[in-house]
Amino acid sequence: MKYCIIGASAAGLACAESIRQADKSGEITVFTKESSLPYSRPSISYYLKGAVGSTEMLLHPAAYYRAKGITILTDTAVTAIDREHKVLRAGRKSYPYDKLCLCTGSKPFVPPVKNAAGKANALTFLEIATVKKIKAKAGKNTRAVVIGAGLIGMKAAEGLSKICKSVDVVELAEFILPSILDKSAAKLVKAHVEASSNIRFHLGNTVAEAKSKGTHITGVRLGSGEELPCDLLVLAVGVRPETSLAEAAGLAVERGIVTDAATMQTDDSDIYAAGDCALSLDMLDSQKKIIALWGNAVKQGKTAGFHMAGAPQQAGGAYAVNAIDFFGCRICTCGLIHADAAPYTSKVQQAGGSYKKLVFCGEHLVGFVLVGASDNAGIYTSLIENQVDITTLQGDLMDTPHIFLFEKAVRQQRLKGEESA
Amino acid sequence: MKRVYAKEELCLNCRLCEVYCKTAHSHSKDIVTAYKKEEPAPSARLRVSGDNHLSVAINCRHCENPKCVEACITGAMTKDKATGIVYVNESKCIGCMSCLAVCPFGCIQTGSFAVKCDLCRETGEPACVKNCPNRALVYTALGGEQE
Ligand SMILES: Cc1cc2nc3c(=O)[nH]c(=O)nc-3n(C[C@H](O)[C@H](O)[C@H](O)COP(=O)(O)OP(=O)(O)OC[C@H]3O[C@@H](n4cnc5c(N)ncnc54)[C@H](O)[C@@H]3O)c2cc1C
Ligand code: SF4
Ligand code: SF4
Repeated sequence: MKYCIIGASAAGLACAESIRQADKSGEITVFTKESSLPYSRPSISYYLKGAVGSTEMLLHPAAYYRAKGITILTDTAVTAIDREHKVLRAGRKSYPYDKLCLCTGSKPFVPPVKNAAGKANALTFLEIATVKKIKAKAGKNTRAVVIGAGLIGMKAAEGLSKICKSVDVVELAEFILPSILDKSAAKLVKAHVEASSNIRFHLGNTVAEAKSKGTHITGVRLGSGEELPCDLLVLAVGVRPETSLAEAAGLAVERGIVTDAATMQTDDSDIYAAGDCALSLDMLDSQKKIIALWGNAVKQGKTAGFHMAGAPQQAGGAYAVNAIDFFGCRICTCGLIHADAAPYTSKVQQAGGSYKKLVFCGEHLVGFVLVGASDNAGIYTSLIENQVDITTLQGDLMDTPHIFLFEKAVRQQRLKGEESA
Repeated sequence: MKRVYAKEELCLNCRLCEVYCKTAHSHSKDIVTAYKKEEPAPSARLRVSGDNHLSVAINCRHCENPKCVEACITGAMTKDKATGIVYVNESKCIGCMSCLAVCPFGCIQTGSFAVKCDLCRETGEPACVKNCPNRALVYTALGGEQE
């Protein structure tokens, strides 16, 4: 059996490992157009600020793949999928497959900024290779401008903050981290970031134009008219699913590649898709959406891999869960957080620097936002994932969750390591 | 695999398990130094939940399919194939706490890295179990059914 996987990141690697677990002899080839062995993409901002080295970022050393019999082809971009002959093309080379998984992930969404395209100091924030360039350009006199205050923009800003003179973050939305925070929580985090760093925000604003000298950007003009000096421009507005190969091959693609959530199979039964490039079915609101998170990519990669190897496992439902820390301000969010109108209800607790919001749908917890209050957050996540009827719980759910929320029989089970449904 | 099982009927809320866990995970391995002098301060890997009326020590279940490992965004959290122990590689961990966000049992604590039970894998004998005065913690492969 020949298995091919395009993309060697969270989803691709989980897929390869699961195939190997179920099929000891099949040939597994993983293609990546990047030069590095699989690494932790979310760690690139930590690499930028010097918290981890490039070796620690690798998910495994090279010997691991040899021992598992997984071939990783770096610097190899797959250019086409020939479904009729079941062959992948990479430039002039061809690679036959029996089962294929697309784990092509995300590509950066680059906002249209007049005069920025192609400039040497305008860079995106998605790959280690680009971040190495950013690191080489950044220094203690660098005035950096980051476009985008989403997860990636904020992480870029945090990484730059430690090594640059100033960091200006420009965001179109009225508040930061709009996909993982509500307005009140965002205000709190913004205040904390401003008080603890050299990061300044320009919200409800855009970068209209870059000023340049030759191939170098020297400043930017904002939509508001304000001008900022700029030695380094980081374009981190967001990401889009990388679906071009799938589209060219005629597979069903909507916002992402369409799959069956239970198997991750596409409309071609020998082709699967997993991770940021694939549509997920959110178990909490039954909406098809892109859940561009590492853990979700791993889960989908596993589901695909086991199914490709003919050893299907029950797939858990998909939902978003995320944790980050900005300058000591811990953020943890899960599920539906912008669900403010009926049928949803919410409870909020705010004290000092901490904020907790729980979102309910009837008797079920369906989401939370925790700022400076992440202790035992996984217990909430477990209530959400298992759709536990909260009227069966004892005590105040707004307190730090703990084992005595559960009645004795459930407690005994949990102490043994069994989550109750 | 052998795991630590906790019995709420026998827990006294004395928190000696926490004291000995913290000491076992300190640099000096000395209670007083661990509590008063060490920088960075060591932390206990398990936590007693509850009050004097009802309490129990919560520590990692070293799950068969650990959610913390699946969620870890750096590969720092792994399950050792041979021993089954789920532990953190501190030099890889960035302290994001994605693992904490999904541990269903509340077994991970915040720190500059994810703080959790490693079953005292260096000594092979969990310090909490050894030092519990009332045998409210047992180390067994029998699912906690038996003393
Ligand atoms: C700065 C940053 C911080 C983040 N922080 C977090 C976080 O804290 N928590 C979290 O859960 N998630 C985080 N994410 C998101 C997380 O990294 C992604 O969800 C995850 O990497 C998705 O994995 P994937 O395998 O689907 O795809 P990707 O990681 O996007 O990898 C896809 C790979 O496929 C390759 N590829 C694409 N097309 C081809 C082709 N034709 N031929 C060969 N190779 C190809 C790409 O080059 C790439 O290497 C962060 C992302 C970034 C950029
Ligand atoms: S930390 Fe939690 S999820 Fe991870 S192995 Fe332990 S009990 Fe399981
Ligand atoms: S805190 Fe460390 S172990 Fe936990 S998910 Fe983040 S990197 Fe992994």
